[in-house]
Amino acid sequence: MPTIALREISKRYGKGGARAVADLSLEVADGDFMCLLGPSGCGKTTTLRMIAGLENLTGGEIAVGDRLVDAAEQGVFVPPEKREMGLVFQSYALWPHLTIEGNTDFGLRLRKVPKAEREARVTKVMTTLGIEQYRHRYPSQLSGGQQQRVALARMLAVNPEVLLLDEPLSNLDARLRLEMRTELKRIHREFGTTIVFVTHDQWEAMTLATRIAVMNTGTLQQVGTPEDIYDRPANRFVAEFVGNPPINIVDPGGDDGLGRAAKAFLARRGGAARAVTSIGLRPEAIHLTRDTATLPAGDLCGEVTLSAVLPTGGSWILELVSEGQKLHATTHAAPVWQDGEPLHFHVAAEAVHLFDGEDARVELAETPGAEARIAG
Amino acid sequence: MSEAGQTGASGPGGVARSRRMLYRLRTSWREPTALIGILLTLVFAYLIVVPITTLLYDSVEVQFGDQRRTGVPVGGLTTYYFNRALFSPVAGDLFWEPLSHTLSISFGAILISLSVGGVLAWLLGRTDLFARRWFATALIVPYMLPSWTFALAWRTAFKNREVGGQMGWLEALGFTPPDWLAYGQVPITIILALHYTPFVILLFGNALRRFDSQLEDSARVLGASPRIVARKIILPLMLPSLMSATVLIFAKCLGEFGVSYVLGLPVDYDVLATSLYRSISSRQPGVAAVIAIAIMSIGIVSLLIDARLVRESRRFVTVGGKGSMDRQTALGRYRLPATGFAAFIFLISVALPLLVLTMSTVMRVPGNFALGNFTLDYWIGSGLEFVAFPNGILLTPDLWQATWNTLKIVGLASVCSGMMGLLVGYVVVRSQVRAVSIFLRQVTFFPYLVPGIAFAAAYLSLFAVPRGPIPALYGTSLILILALMSDQMPYASRAGISAMMQLGKDPEEAAQVAGAGWFRRMVSIVIPIQKGALVAGVLLPFISGIRGLSLFVILAVPGTDVLTTFSLRLLDYNYTQAANSVVLIISAIAYFGTLAVQKMTKTNLADGLGG
Ligand SMILES: Nc1ncnc2c1ncn2[C@@H]1O[C@H](COP(=O)(O)OP(=O)(O)OP(=O)(O)O)[C@@H](O)[C@H]1O
Ligand SMILES: [Mg+2]
Repeated sequence: MPTIALREISKRYGKGGARAVADLSLEVADGDFMCLLGPSGCGKTTTLRMIAGLENLTGGEIAVGDRLVDAAEQGVFVPPEKREMGLVFQSYALWPHLTIEGNTDFGLRLRKVPKAEREARVTKVMTTLGIEQYRHRYPSQLSGGQQQRVALARMLAVNPEVLLLDEPLSNLDARLRLEMRTELKRIHREFGTTIVFVTHDQWEAMTLATRIAVMNTGTLQQVGTPEDIYDRPANRFVAEFVGNPPINIVDPGGDDGLGRAAKAFLARRGGAARAVTSIGLRPEAIHLTRDTATLPAGDLCGEVTLSAVLPTGGSWILELVSEGQKLHATTHAAPVWQDGEPLHFHVAAEAVHLFDGEDARVELAETPGAEARIAG
Repeated sequence: MSEAGQTGASGPGGVARSRRMLYRLRTSWREPTALIGILLTLVFAYLIVVPITTLLYDSVEVQFGDQRRTGVPVGGLTTYYFNRALFSPVAGDLFWEPLSHTLSISFGAILISLSVGGVLAWLLGRTDLFARRWFATALIVPYMLPSWTFALAWRTAFKNREVGGQMGWLEALGFTPPDWLAYGQVPITIILALHYTPFVILLFGNALRRFDSQLEDSARVLGASPRIVARKIILPLMLPSLMSATVLIFAKCLGEFGVSYVLGLPVDYDVLATSLYRSISSRQPGVAAVIAIAIMSIGIVSLLIDARLVRESRRFVTVGGKGSMDRQTALGRYRLPATGFAAFIFLISVALPLLVLTMSTVMRVPGNFALGNFTLDYWIGSGLEFVAFPNGILLTPDLWQATWNTLKIVGLASVCSGMMGLLVGYVVVRSQVRAVSIFLRQVTFFPYLVPGIAFAAAYLSLFAVPRGPIPALYGTSLILILALMSDQMPYASRAGISAMMQLGKDPEEAAQVAGAGWFRRMVSIVIPIQKGALVAGVLLPFISGIRGLSLFVILAVPGTDVLTTFSLRLLDYNYTQAANSVVLIISAIAYFGTLAVQKMTKTNLADGLGG
């Protein structure tokens, strides 16, 4: 299976328009399940279509394995029909005049696969996806979820080495979505396909991907494993985009309870490599307690008042207030506190995300002296 | 890029630039789409732009035989034709009088059809008229038939000794109609008015249906009487659609040939279209070109005004989501008279004309209703008194020749324009080269602005003589096919563009990613999906092409007669029965064809308005 390398690719629609994708570099390794994640209009679809060859590049190049397939500066362009990829459209784009079987074996016919083998492969793929019983129906006679699976089957039948998926699950209901996610994971394992998957749903990205590429306004923000993205967001945009409820942002320069708590924490840890202008605290990293005695040393600690408890079924969102500043926390244990009760909170040092003036991530200074000072 | 330009083609920048060019070529011009776009551009430039340019040029170029009069050798430039047509002593006969006739007929027809059609649209749309649904279909019929069907009926009933052949019915009954009633302005105006009334019913009815009745209700709640509501709310809002109907009818009257030919010729009552025809048949191509240019310019100006009006009216579109207009006014004691009015219009615009025509083809002596006077001889008999046509019309080989010609010429033209329309749609929607797609969209729309008869004149001036490698096409079926095809392109390309827009790119791109090349995608994906649109795009023009006259009358010769020109020729021979039979045949084909196409394609005549 090949790797896909995007090297500083960019795309401008029309002359003088803004760049929909700007200098994006990304390596999709063999067997990766790569998710392109980002808000609406950030250029995910454009990127995917450039990989497929359906959009030409304004700049940069794309290589699949060691073959250059697209390079604006070198006059190389391999048309989509020669790239041997699979692409599942957000709209499915099933051919309305062909039956499910006709849709599925279209690619095999093109490749002149002998009839017996063709039927075997079509049957196998249809059975895998559970659409065998509809093979003689037309697309308009299927439900959205079934159509979606046909769209997948159509691409899987030719066993492409690279499968590109553009928000394929967005039109499904919650239960079907879950089913299809499991399905996709299985396909990825079973067929060993390299998958690039576009979504704006972070949860989907987290559950499916081996690696996630977060995009915003046409630029790449961060690439990494789901844990990387969640636990070590490269910048404030990634931190805020990923996570629900969203991460709490505290200004350490602020003259309020939270600001002072943050400043005190930074001072105790001996500061950071660069000036910190904002601090992110994930809701589930915020722990609450009534008494100060149990506060772990080295944590970011402060005082808040519990203002509301919102049950979400199995877990709770706690709304906390400190001198007018709001903070959200989540807990999986039923809260034992009353509304309006004053509480202490603490966040472990490794769960505190620091960002500089450019919103880039800053690591805590690893000064043992500072550690000693706090310990002593 | 600019840096590359300075270093020149030999430096490294030049290499980078040529690579960039190569990339652009590979991506934009990779597919046959681009090539087909270029081909279509050339084809339509030749079929539409060149004829019209030739026509323009003909009006200022000295024609063969005019050297002495103009004092300039053949091919030189002259203002002689413009002078002759517009300012000379004969200009009145050639141009100004026909112009004033055309204008007065158009305005008369517009006035009558707007008032009759407006009332009928309201009666059909918003009242409890008896047999409303039936009338809604029945009153549209005149629009499906060739307009000069009614002219022939009129002539059959009202004609006097001014022309030869059989007597008119009234004359046979002892009452000789005066010339003003038998020929000229009065009958032409009435017939055109009745022919375009359905057009008003459809346009105005559509507007009424889309009208948001909440606007009306608000006025009523504020205390306005129904009369005031009608005058202050409904009328102003309907004005754009009224204006639009006016302009469209005017543009159609401008190129109207058949009715004026049948009823104007006997008393030398010329309109622009017939004057153009006369100039062409008396071999004055220069003057003909001037008249054609005049018709074309008036047509273009009026349709541009219409486009303007439509855009203006968008500013206050009142497409009501909620209060749809299905509410009815009870007519009360006017219910019966109103129904009578609708029935009367049906009678004079459909029933009577068709009855007169049909009867005339089965009666030996006009106006004699004795049983013994009826005969089927004119259809299937033999040994008739006409030298050239001793047999009944159905036994005349010329009829079948003309039928075959019609099917061949109109059929081929419609198939070509349907396919071309889809191709144009494809290229316009898909082409990466914007200039090509804009040019195609506009050039294929252009014939819409040019009345058919002027367009035919343009074709004549281009193809009457050999030009370069292209032989003279006049006298062949090919010129008819090409002219008709180009004339149908506005509808075909619009249908093609909207079909391709609806299809979107996804199904085709899916096939592309699956490995299908361009040709394969066309054959396996695009054409099968667009099959329905293609069928409609061929059949609708076919039906309207069968009853077309003005294009053919200029370009057809006896060998390439189609049914319409054949019927006109029979009329010129004063063989009334046969002319009427042929027109009945055309009407039947047009009527049942329209119904069949509507059923098959589930479209409505109202949607294809302007066709
Ligand atoms: N054909 C086009 N012409 C001009 N601009 C375009 C075109 N396609 C996309 N864009 C612009 O490029 C940007 C990126 O679009 P893209 O479709 O890649 O976004 P996306 O990340 O897929 O968004 P979504 O999640 O809504 O699908 C958008 O600002 C969009 O308006
Ligand atoms: Mg998208």
